[in-house]
Amino acid sequence: MKKLDEEFYQKYKKLGRGSWGKEFLLIKGMYNGMLNLMKTQEEFIEPMETILKIFLSIGKARKEGRSIIMYPFNYGPELFHTMNLQPLMQELFSVGLAPFHMNEPYLDFSNNVGYGDNPTLCNASRPLIGAYLQGAAPVPDLLFFLSTPCNSLSINYQVFESLTGVPTYNMDIPYWACEQDSEFYDPTILEYIITQSKEFIGWLEKQTNQKFNIENFQQTMARLNEARGYIMEFNELLKTVPCPVPSMTGFWNWFFMTTIGGTADAVDVTKYTRDRAAESVKEGIGGVEDEKIRIGWPYTHVFFEGPELFNWLEETYGAVTIMDILGYYKVRPQKTETLEECYESLATGTLDYSMIGSCRGPVEYYIDYVIDYVKDYKLDCVIYPMQYACKHAFAMARITSEVVKEETGIPSLIFGCDPYDSREVPSEAIRGKISDFLTQIVM
Amino acid sequence: MTVLEKFAEALPLQNPWIESWKKDGKKVLGTFCSYIPDEIIYAADILPIRIRATGCTDTPMGDAYLTDTACSFTRCCLEMANRKQYNFLDGMISCNSCDQIRRLFDNIRFKAPPPFHHFLSVPGNVNQTTIDWFIHELNKFKETLEENFNVDISDNKLRDTIKLYNQSRTLLKELYLLRKNKAPPITGTEMMNILLTNISIPKEQFNELLSQQLQEINRKEGISDYKARIMLAGSMLDDPEYVKIIEDLGGLVVTDSYCLGPRLFWENVDETKNPMDALANYYMSRVSCPRMAGGQSNRVEYILDLIKEFNVDGVILQRMKFCALWWGEIFIIRKKLKELNIPFLDLEREYMVSGVGAMKTRVQGFLEVLESR
Repeated sequence: MKKLDEEFYQKYKKLGRGSWGKEFLLIKGMYNGMLNLMKTQEEFIEPMETILKIFLSIGKARKEGRSIIMYPFNYGPELFHTMNLQPLMQELFSVGLAPFHMNEPYLDFSNNVGYGDNPTLCNASRPLIGAYLQGAAPVPDLLFFLSTPCNSLSINYQVFESLTGVPTYNMDIPYWACEQDSEFYDPTILEYIITQSKEFIGWLEKQTNQKFNIENFQQTMARLNEARGYIMEFNELLKTVPCPVPSMTGFWNWFFMTTIGGTADAVDVTKYTRDRAAESVKEGIGGVEDEKIRIGWPYTHVFFEGPELFNWLEETYGAVTIMDILGYYKVRPQKTETLEECYESLATGTLDYSMIGSCRGPVEYYIDYVIDYVKDYKLDCVIYPMQYACKHAFAMARITSEVVKEETGIPSLIFGCDPYDSREVPSEAIRGKISDFLTQIVM
Repeated sequence: MTVLEKFAEALPLQNPWIESWKKDGKKVLGTFCSYIPDEIIYAADILPIRIRATGCTDTPMGDAYLTDTACSFTRCCLEMANRKQYNFLDGMISCNSCDQIRRLFDNIRFKAPPPFHHFLSVPGNVNQTTIDWFIHELNKFKETLEENFNVDISDNKLRDTIKLYNQSRTLLKELYLLRKNKAPPITGTEMMNILLTNISIPKEQFNELLSQQLQEINRKEGISDYKARIMLAGSMLDDPEYVKIIEDLGGLVVTDSYCLGPRLFWENVDETKNPMDALANYYMSRVSCPRMAGGQSNRVEYILDLIKEFNVDGVILQRMKFCALWWGEIFIIRKKLKELNIPFLDLEREYMVSGVGAMKTRVQGFLEVLESR
C-alpha cells in the first residue's frame, strides 16, 4: 500500500501548480481538495492518486488540442479512450465539488437566473449550468448523453447544448430486458443498442475527422472486461461477513469504470481494490472493526458528506455500508475475441450500467436488484437517501421497501435530501434520521 | 344546446359518449401520453381516452408513494386510481413519456392494478434506427391488443382509422386557424373544451360535432374586446378553468403549445404508407414534446412561428410544479423570447387550479404591460 509521504505530496503539489485556465479552475480546485483529503484517507491513496491523474489529463488534453467529450455518469468511456478523446464525466463537478461546498454558489446562480430548483431539477447536473454561465466550466468539444435514467439529465444536456452550441449526440435506451429469462425480455434490444453504438461511432469519426481503429477498440474492450472481472470478484468478496473493506471502497469501482474504463489504469486500480478485499477475507479482517450492522444503500452517496457519513456510521454503530447504487457495478465480463463480441459487450455494458440497469425500465428491475442485494449480502437494513429531484428513483422506493419487507423481513429507511447541497437537509438532520432508524428499528 | 355546450359535456372523466360506448358492450382504454397512437386502439374497436385526474382534490396516496415532490398531475392520477375513479376503464396504456408518468404507471400496477395494462418504450430521439424500434414497439402493442381483446387489427382497419383520425386533425386545424383572425370567433377556453373532447369521445361523433361547430362558428361574430392576444405554452394542462382565469381578465388565448395543442393535429398521418410505418413516422417526427432528448431548437422555432402566425402580443409560460422537462424547456424559450423582445409571463402551477388570487394579480399586471406597449 502506498504512503502519502512528503515526496508523494510535493510531486502532485508541483504537478498541480500553475495556471489551468479559467475554465479549469474548478477542476484545479477539486485536484487540490483531493490532494489535501488524501492526508486523512491513507487507505485510499492508490485510487485517489488515479483521480489526481484524471484531473491532470483533462487540462492536458486541452493543451494538446485533443477533443474533450462531456458525457454522463452512467456511460462507460471506452469508445472515447479508443478514439483518444478526453472523457469528461459531467457529474465530476457536482460530485467532486459537493464535499467542499463549492456547488452551492453555482446552484444559487442557477436559481437566480431561473434555471430550476432542487425538488424539480437534479443538482447532479444543475451546477454545470450555473458554472458555465459564470465562465467557470469548461466547454467540451463534444457532448453525449443517454435518454435515461432521468429527465433532469436529458433536459440539462439539451440546455447546455443550446447555450454552448457544442455538437451533441444522444442515444436512446429502451425499457426492456436483454436477459431471456426476464418477463420483460425483448430479443431485439441488444441489436438496437449495437446499431446505435455503431452510429455513434460514425458520428464521432465525422466530428473528430478520424477513423475508428478496430484494433484499439478490441484492446480497449479486452481491458474493460478484465476490469469488469476484477469488479465481479470484488462484489463476490463483499458477501463475506465481516465485509472485508470499508464502506467507501466499492464506490471507486464505479468511478474508475466511468472515467477511465477500458484503460490499463482502470485494470490496475480495480485489481488493487479486488486484491485488498481478497487479502482481508483471507485474514478474516473486516473493513469495519467489530462489524455489527450491514447496510444496503441502493441510491447514491450523500456527496456533500464526502466519506464522513460512512465514517460516522462505522465508528458509531459498527455499521458497514456494503455498496451504493453506483458502486454496485454489475456488468459481467464478456468474451471479446471477435469484433461482434466486442460490440455486444459494449451494448451489454450500456444496458446494465450502474443505475441504468436497475432504473431504466419497470420498477421490477429495481425491486429485484434490491432483493438480491439484501439476500446476497446478508443485509440487516436498507437506507434510501433519495434526492428530492430524482423523481424516477424516489417513486420506486416505497413500493420496493414494501416488497423487500414482505419477502425478506428487512426494514428500510427512506428520506429525502439533496446529496449535492448540504443546505437542503443538513448533515445533522440526516444523521438524526439514520440514528433513530438504527437504534429503534434495526438494532 | 349549442355545439360548444355539447363539447363541455365531454369534460367529466366519464361522459355520456363513454357511457353509451360501454352500453354497447365495447371496451375503453385509458392512455397517459400523446406518443401512444390512439389509431391502433381504435382500429380494435376500443375507445382510447386520455387519462385525466379531473375532480381530484387531495393526494395523500400520491404524496406517500410518488413523494410530495412529484408533479401534482401524477399524484392526482395515483389518487384517482386508488379511489377506483378509473374503474370504468378496461385497461391502461402508458409509455416512458416522463419519469413521473413511468413511475406513476408502476405504482398503479402495484397498488391499483387495472384489468389490462401495456407499456410502450417510446424512443427518446428521432432517426431511422429509433423509428424502426418504434415500429417494432407498435407491432408488439397491436399483437397484445389482439391477443387480450380477441380482435383482429387488420391493415385495412388501421387505414380506415388513420383516415378518420386525419379528418379530426384537418377539422381541428381548420377551426384552430380561425384564431388567427383579428376578431377570432372562439376563445381559448372554448378551444380547450374542444381539444379535451378530442381525447375523450369516439372520433366519428367528434368529427360530426366539430363539423357542426365549424358551421355554427361562421355565423358567430368574432371577439374583439380583448386586451391582448396571448399564447399559452408549457406543461400538461387539461383544465379550461385555468384558461378562463386569463380570459376573464381580458386576455384572449389565440394559440397554444402544450400537450393537447396543435402539435397533435397540425400534420396528418401519411395515408399512402404501410399503416404501422406511417404511424411510427408520424408520432416520432411531428413537433416533439420536451420528453424527446433532442429537437429543442425545433420546438422553440415552432413556438416562435406560432407567435408570429397568430399575431401574439405576449406569452404565458405555465409550468407544472416539479416538472423538470418543462423547467429546462422554458429556460431556453425565455432566453429566445428575451432576445426577440417578446413579453412573457412565467407561471408555476399545480394540476388542480389553485392560488387563483395570486395568479390573477400576475396575469392582470402582465396584461397591463401588454396594453401599454
